[in-house]
Amino acid sequence: MFALQLALSGLAQGAIYALVALSMCVVNRATTVVNFGHGDLVMAGAFVVYLFVVLAGLPFVASAILAVALLFILGVLIELGLIERIKAGPHIGFALMCIAFGYVLRGIARAVWGREVLPMPTVFNLPPVFLGELVITADALVIFAAVGVLLIAFFLLFYRSSAGRVMQALCQSERGAALVGINVRAFHGVMWGVGAALGAVGGVLVAPITLLHPGLGASFLIKGFAAMTLGGFGSFGGAVVGGLVLGVAEQLVGGYVSTKLIDITAYLVIILVLALRPNGLFGRAIAEKV
Amino acid sequence: MLELHDVSVSFAGLQALRNVSLSARGGEVRALIGPNGAGKTTLFNAITGYVPLSAGRIALDGKAIDGLSPHQIAARGVRRTFQNGGLFPELTALENVLAGLHSRIEASFTGILFGSRSARAAERAALARARELLKSLGVAHLADQPVKSMSGGQQRTIEIVRAVAAEPPLLLLDEPAVGLAPPLRAQLVELIRRLAGEMGIAVLLIEHAVDLVMAAADAVAVFNGGVKIAEGPPAAMRADPVVLEAYLGHG
Amino acid sequence: MRFFLIPLAAAAIPLVANPYTQFMVNLMLVYILVAVGFNLVLGNLGQLAFANTALFGIGAYTGAMLMAHAGWPFWLVIVPAGVAGAAAGFLASVTALRGIRVYYLAIVTLAFGELLRWSYIHGERATGGTDGLAVPRADFFGLALDSETARFYVFLVIVTVLVKALHNLLRSKIGRAIVAIRDNELATASLAIPTGRYIVLAFVLSGFVVGIAGSLFAVLIGRVIPESFGLIELILHFAMVLVGGLGSLFGGVLGAVALTALPEFFRGFPGMYEMFFGGLLIVFLLVQPRGLAALAARWFPALRERYYRER
Repeated sequence: MFALQLALSGLAQGAIYALVALSMCVVNRATTVVNFGHGDLVMAGAFVVYLFVVLAGLPFVASAILAVALLFILGVLIELGLIERIKAGPHIGFALMCIAFGYVLRGIARAVWGREVLPMPTVFNLPPVFLGELVITADALVIFAAVGVLLIAFFLLFYRSSAGRVMQALCQSERGAALVGINVRAFHGVMWGVGAALGAVGGVLVAPITLLHPGLGASFLIKGFAAMTLGGFGSFGGAVVGGLVLGVAEQLVGGYVSTKLIDITAYLVIILVLALRPNGLFGRAIAEKV
Repeated sequence: MLELHDVSVSFAGLQALRNVSLSARGGEVRALIGPNGAGKTTLFNAITGYVPLSAGRIALDGKAIDGLSPHQIAARGVRRTFQNGGLFPELTALENVLAGLHSRIEASFTGILFGSRSARAAERAALARARELLKSLGVAHLADQPVKSMSGGQQRTIEIVRAVAAEPPLLLLDEPAVGLAPPLRAQLVELIRRLAGEMGIAVLLIEHAVDLVMAAADAVAVFNGGVKIAEGPPAAMRADPVVLEAYLGHG
Repeated sequence: MRFFLIPLAAAAIPLVANPYTQFMVNLMLVYILVAVGFNLVLGNLGQLAFANTALFGIGAYTGAMLMAHAGWPFWLVIVPAGVAGAAAGFLASVTALRGIRVYYLAIVTLAFGELLRWSYIHGERATGGTDGLAVPRADFFGLALDSETARFYVFLVIVTVLVKALHNLLRSKIGRAIVAIRDNELATASLAIPTGRYIVLAFVLSGFVVGIAGSLFAVLIGRVIPESFGLIELILHFAMVLVGGLGSLFGGVLGAVALTALPEFFRGFPGMYEMFFGGLLIVFLLVQPRGLAALAARWFPALRERYYRER
C-alpha cells in the first residue's frame, strides 16, 4: 500500500515532468535546438500565475490561461528575436543564448520575488478522493486531468491532423518544406511558442503544490532532461513515459531509501542511462564511435 | 594490400552495397566510377570504418580491419578525403596539414607542457615538412589563410595535402577534382600519378570526370546500384556495353 | 619569452594598489585560471559543459578540507586540488569514451556538477554542510599568506606557470587535435587521432586548472560554501569565456580581468547579477560573438590564436 501511495503521488509529479519533457522535445524536434533555458520558462509560467493570483487577485484558471498565453508570446519572441538572429553562428552559440535568457528570466523572478521561497495559497478546494486506502489529492486530480487532456490533444493534433502532418514534414526536412513554400521561420516561432506554452502549463500546474523560488528552473531542466534521456531523445512518447517513470522513481527512492536522495534521482538517472544504455527506452542511436 | 571480400552494407533496410569484392595494390591507381548513389562513398566509409559491414570482410595487408573504429584504421596507414570537404574550417591551411602530421610528431605530453627541447624540435620538424608539402603543391601562399575563406578548389587541394602528409600506404580520394579549373586538374592528375608511381601509394579514386579517370587510373571499377558491375583497364571500360548501359540506360 | 612580459609588468601592481584593489586583483588571478580552464573545453574543444563550477568547487573543498581537517600547509594542497579537479573532469566526461557527444555529454556534465554540489551540502562534518568550511591561515613554505600582497605574488607565480603550460599545449599536436575535434570530429578520426581520448583529456586538463583555481579561491575568501559553486556562479564563468573570446587563451584572460570586479556592484540588488550577466551574454552573442580577443586581434594580428610555435 505504501508503495502504491508513493507511486500515485509519483505519477502526479511525473505527469508534470512528462509535460516539461514533451515541451522540450517539441522545440528540439522542430528546430533542432536544445533549449537549456527551458526550465526557466517553466519557472516563469509558475511565477506569472503566482503574480496574477496573489498580487492581482485573479482566479486561478484565468491566471493560468493568461500565463500560458504570455509564455507562448515570449517563446515566439525569443525564437524570432534571439535565436533566428544567430542562425549563422556555431551551434554552441544557440546553447549559450538559451542559457543566457534563462538566467535573465531567473534574475527578473528573483528581483521581484526577493530571497524568499513562496508558497501559493491552496487553489482547489475539492476534497481528496479515496480509492480504498489510497488518497488522491485534489491537486493530483487536476494535474492528471489537465496533463491527460493536453497529451491526448497533442498526440491527436500531431499524428492525426493535417496540420500535424505538416509539422511532421517540417521536422523531417526543412529544406523540402521551404521549397514547397512553407514559411520555416514562422514555423520555428510557433513551435517555440508551443513549447514555451506547454512548459508554462507545467509551471502553472506545479505552482499550487510546490514552494516557488527562482531556482526552480534548474530543477525542471534537469528533470526534463532526465525524462527525455530515459525515454530516448527525440521521442515524444518516450519523453512522456520517461517523465512518469522518473516521478514514480523519485517517490519510491525517497520513501524506501532516503528523502535526501529525491533531489538527485534525476542526476543519477541521466548518468546511469547515458553510461549504460544511451538510447534510452525508445530513442534512436546517439552514441558515435569514431 | 587492401582486400574486400563480398562486402555488403545496409542502412535501415536499404542495401547500399551488395557482395562487393575489390582489391588495391601499392603503386596502382584504381578509379571507382558510377552514377550518383551507386554506393562508392559508402564503400569508402566501409573501408575507413565509418559504417559497419552487414556481411563480408575487409583486410589490410592480410589483417582484418572491418569492425575497427575509424581512428584505428587510420592508424594502420589509411587516409582519405571527404566528398563534402573534411577540412577544419577555423584553422589555417598550415594548421590543417600539421593536423595531418599528428601521428608523425614524436613529442611526449610532459615535453609539450614544459616546452622541452625535444618536443619543440619535433614540432619544428613537422612545421618545416608541412610548409614543404604546401610548397610542392604550389599552395604555399595559402599557408596562413583560414581554410573557410578559400575557394572550393583550393580547399580540395589542401585536403589532399593533409591526407598525404603522413605518407599513407593507402589513400582514398573522394571526388578530388570537384571545383578545380582545368590547369589544376592536370596538376591533380600529375600528383596522383606521382603518389602512386614515386611513393608507391595504393590510391582508390572516386571520380566523375572521365578525362581525369582516363589519365590517372591504372584500373577502373564500375558501380551501379550498390554492385560492382565491371572492372578493368580504363580504355576497356570506356567501351564496355554494360558500363555504357549503366550510365546512359536510365534515360 | 614575450609571454612573460605581462606577468613581469603585473608584479608592480602591489606598489600602487590599496588592500581592497589588491584583493580584486587577486580575485582576477583566480578567475583567469577559471576562464582559461573553462575555455579549453567550451572554446577550444567546442563542447558545451556545465561542470565548471563543480570543478572549481571540488578544488576549493579539497584544499579547504586538507588544510582544515588534516592540517596541511597551503603549498601542499595546491596539486591535490588540481588532481581532484582533474579526476572530476574525467568522471564528467568519461562517457565520451563510449561515444556520447554534444548535447548528451553536456547534460551529463550538468547532472554530474549538480551531484557534486549535493554532496557538499550533505557532506556533514567533512564539508561543513550548508555552512561550509572555514579555511585556516595559509602557509606557503613558511611564508604566512595573510596579506593581500603576499597572496598576490604566490598566485601570480602559480597562474603564470599554468597559463604558460596551456599556451605550450595549445601550440602543439595536442592543441591542434582538440580544436580539430571541434571543427570536424569525423575528419579528425580519419587522421588517426583517437577523438574520445582527446575529449576526456581536454576535460581533465580543464579540471586540473580550475581545481587549482578553487584552492586559491578558498584561501582568498577564507570560507568555502556550497552556494559559491552552483548554477548561479556558472553564468559568470560562461560570460567570462564568451566576452573574452571563445577558444582564445588571451581571451580567457581578458574576460576574467574585465568581469571579475562586476559582481560586487550587484550585491545589494537581488536578481541584478543574473540579469546583467545573462544580458551581457546575449548582447555579445548578437554583436560580438568572437569576444574581445577578436577585437584585439584586429588591431594586433600577432594576438591571433595560433596552433603552432613559430620559433
